[in-house]
Amino acid sequence: MRIAMTGNPNSGKTTMFNAITGRNEKVGNWAGVTVDIKKASIKKSFNESDEKIVCVDLPGAYSISPFTAEESVTRDYILNERPDIIVNIVDATNLSRSLFFTTQLLELGIPVVVALNKTDLNRKKKTEIDINALSKIINCPVIETISTSKKGLKDVIDAVLSLKGKSQIAPFTQPNIEYSDKAAIAKADKQRFAFVGGVVNQVEKRAVSTHKRNTQDKIDDLLTNKWLGLPIFAVVMFLVFWISQAGPGVWVADWLTALMESGQEWVGAQFTDANPLLYSLLIDGVIGGVLAVVGFLPLVMVMYFLIALLEDCGYMARVSVILDPIFKKVGLSGKSVIPFVIATGCAVPGVMACRTVRTERERRATAMLAPFMPCGAKLPVIALFAGAFFEDATWVGPLMYFLGIIIIFFGALIINKITGYKARKSFFIMELPEYKAPSFFRAFKSMCSRGWAYIVKAATIILLCNTVVQIMQTFSLSLSVAESADQSILAAIAEPFSYLLVPVVGVISWQLAAAAITGFIAKENVVGTLAVCFVGLENLINTDELTMIEGAGAEVASLFAITRVAALAYLMFNLFTPPCFAAMGAMNAEMKSKKWFFASIGFQFGTGFTIGFVVYQFGTLITTGAFGAGFLPGLAAVTVFAIIIAVLCVKSGRKAKV
Amino acid sequence: MDLTKVDLCKEYVIKSITTHDAELEAFLFSLGCFSGEKITVINRRRSGSIVAIKDGRYNIDTPLAQAIEVF
Repeated sequence: MRIAMTGNPNSGKTTMFNAITGRNEKVGNWAGVTVDIKKASIKKSFNESDEKIVCVDLPGAYSISPFTAEESVTRDYILNERPDIIVNIVDATNLSRSLFFTTQLLELGIPVVVALNKTDLNRKKKTEIDINALSKIINCPVIETISTSKKGLKDVIDAVLSLKGKSQIAPFTQPNIEYSDKAAIAKADKQRFAFVGGVVNQVEKRAVSTHKRNTQDKIDDLLTNKWLGLPIFAVVMFLVFWISQAGPGVWVADWLTALMESGQEWVGAQFTDANPLLYSLLIDGVIGGVLAVVGFLPLVMVMYFLIALLEDCGYMARVSVILDPIFKKVGLSGKSVIPFVIATGCAVPGVMACRTVRTERERRATAMLAPFMPCGAKLPVIALFAGAFFEDATWVGPLMYFLGIIIIFFGALIINKITGYKARKSFFIMELPEYKAPSFFRAFKSMCSRGWAYIVKAATIILLCNTVVQIMQTFSLSLSVAESADQSILAAIAEPFSYLLVPVVGVISWQLAAAAITGFIAKENVVGTLAVCFVGLENLINTDELTMIEGAGAEVASLFAITRVAALAYLMFNLFTPPCFAAMGAMNAEMKSKKWFFASIGFQFGTGFTIGFVVYQFGTLITTGAFGAGFLPGLAAVTVFAIIIAVLCVKSGRKAKV
Repeated sequence: MDLTKVDLCKEYVIKSITTHDAELEAFLFSLGCFSGEKITVINRRRSGSIVAIKDGRYNIDTPLAQAIEVF
């Protein structure tokens, strides 16, 4: 049998879903975390019957008539797929709003179980709800639950089982009205709210009115303060990046890389008599490449942990509030902030989070710009270059994020010009969830599951890519063993692309080109491929500044044979070109427009190349007094890009006048 | 008067909401924000206001606060 979890946004549906199914879907303390349907079977410990129960987690909705894209997902699922039982998660702290949706669900004829969630918060506020009276009035079981501590969840499942095959009698039935008659609908909905108000009066006793100022409001005063709001946000984000990439994240990385290096040595020692070709394929290529990527795992995990804490405490909604006025100026909405912050973990969920942005243009623009925030997979790339070329300078990481934000702003302005957007009166409303102390345990779990996903990726896609890269650089086009890597298949394939990179790095390097290309499969591949291509690099990554040997960073730098300026330019090129294929797929799915999708890819390519070009050429001009190699062709390419954008802007400007 | 002019932390009753955006007004409705309902402005900044509707807190921007008339 199938049960559907429904309820208002941020009532705790996914937390409950995770608890009873053992899954680890994304949760957060703001409205609109879940944007898609998730299905899983209920764990045996919650379901003692022989009946197999499939639980369906739906995006939150305030009403059965949808307002946003994800709300219509919920409506369509309930009406078309007709689950056997509806579990309606009701936020006990906001009964007067939640029961509106509940009464709509009760009219569908499908048995409903009401899970009165967050009852612990009510107890703190001395709000009492008479669940027996409530259950009698609305004709369905009402069970007190606390999703976060799993309290009452077993009782919910028992109630679900007891209702199997039964029907539902609605306590309130909407009179027959013509659905085109707006006034009639409004009247019927007001009657519904009046009914709900009556119910709440009968069952709820509040000690403190919500319309009075409380401690939460004092925190809001500070965090959304006109002057302090932005600096506080900047400090918080800086701390997240600093702790993960310069502080504790690196200490853990040191320890882990040393451990893995000895593992690699041990494996190497087992195969000393092996065929040198196979030995190099296995030890240098496969293991070395993967270890180079896995070595950065602690940095990524620490960042995941910190972001999970941020998402859990209720701060994200406030960030939307302080950034909304600024984002409005460039034609985005405060809601775009959440996708951008999520994209610092991974661009795929970041792009998917765009669904909560209401207007289509803003949604597409957000999906197009979110991948500019450096994601977790780009972090190893940043860390590698920071370690190899900049002595692990603490400014490299934060600079990349800062640059990502600047690109997002300018990108949004350009999109406005091209789409002919005119500042119009736009309205913004954001629910402010209650603050809560973030759960370290859940952040830890979230970190582990994402860290595990990272390892799985390293052991599958990255491993496969490294193996292919290693094989391709071992053999020449005639399929014999290449005398040097320069005669290999890989060099032959990557070389044409290396010319395109000259304006960015100043040298023809097929290795760098190959790394940039494999980066589209997964950005960690940039590190993996460089480790494979530059023989010996993987030893240095494991032992550069991150770990032991002093001065190894310089050795890595000399191996690359590019200047520091070129390294910075190449790093930025990799960060700000289109994201990996998975993120591109997500962009395509969210934009629902081939035109927007291809324009986005083109724009991201143009941006990445332009930034790389400007940083390398002008950096070289400053450091050496002359432009670097490939200045003119690069300038030509950047000019063409600029002209295309200018033409598109002018065109839309003319259209707007007509 | 509209919500940008009312006293803080004082309960008012919504008289009308005029946004010329039927979808948004339907959404506000589902939150319990419609004529005849109570609303309180908890705090106000230049760019927006924090309001209490039913038992929830929301941030609304200034254009929306101006669109809500209360008495």
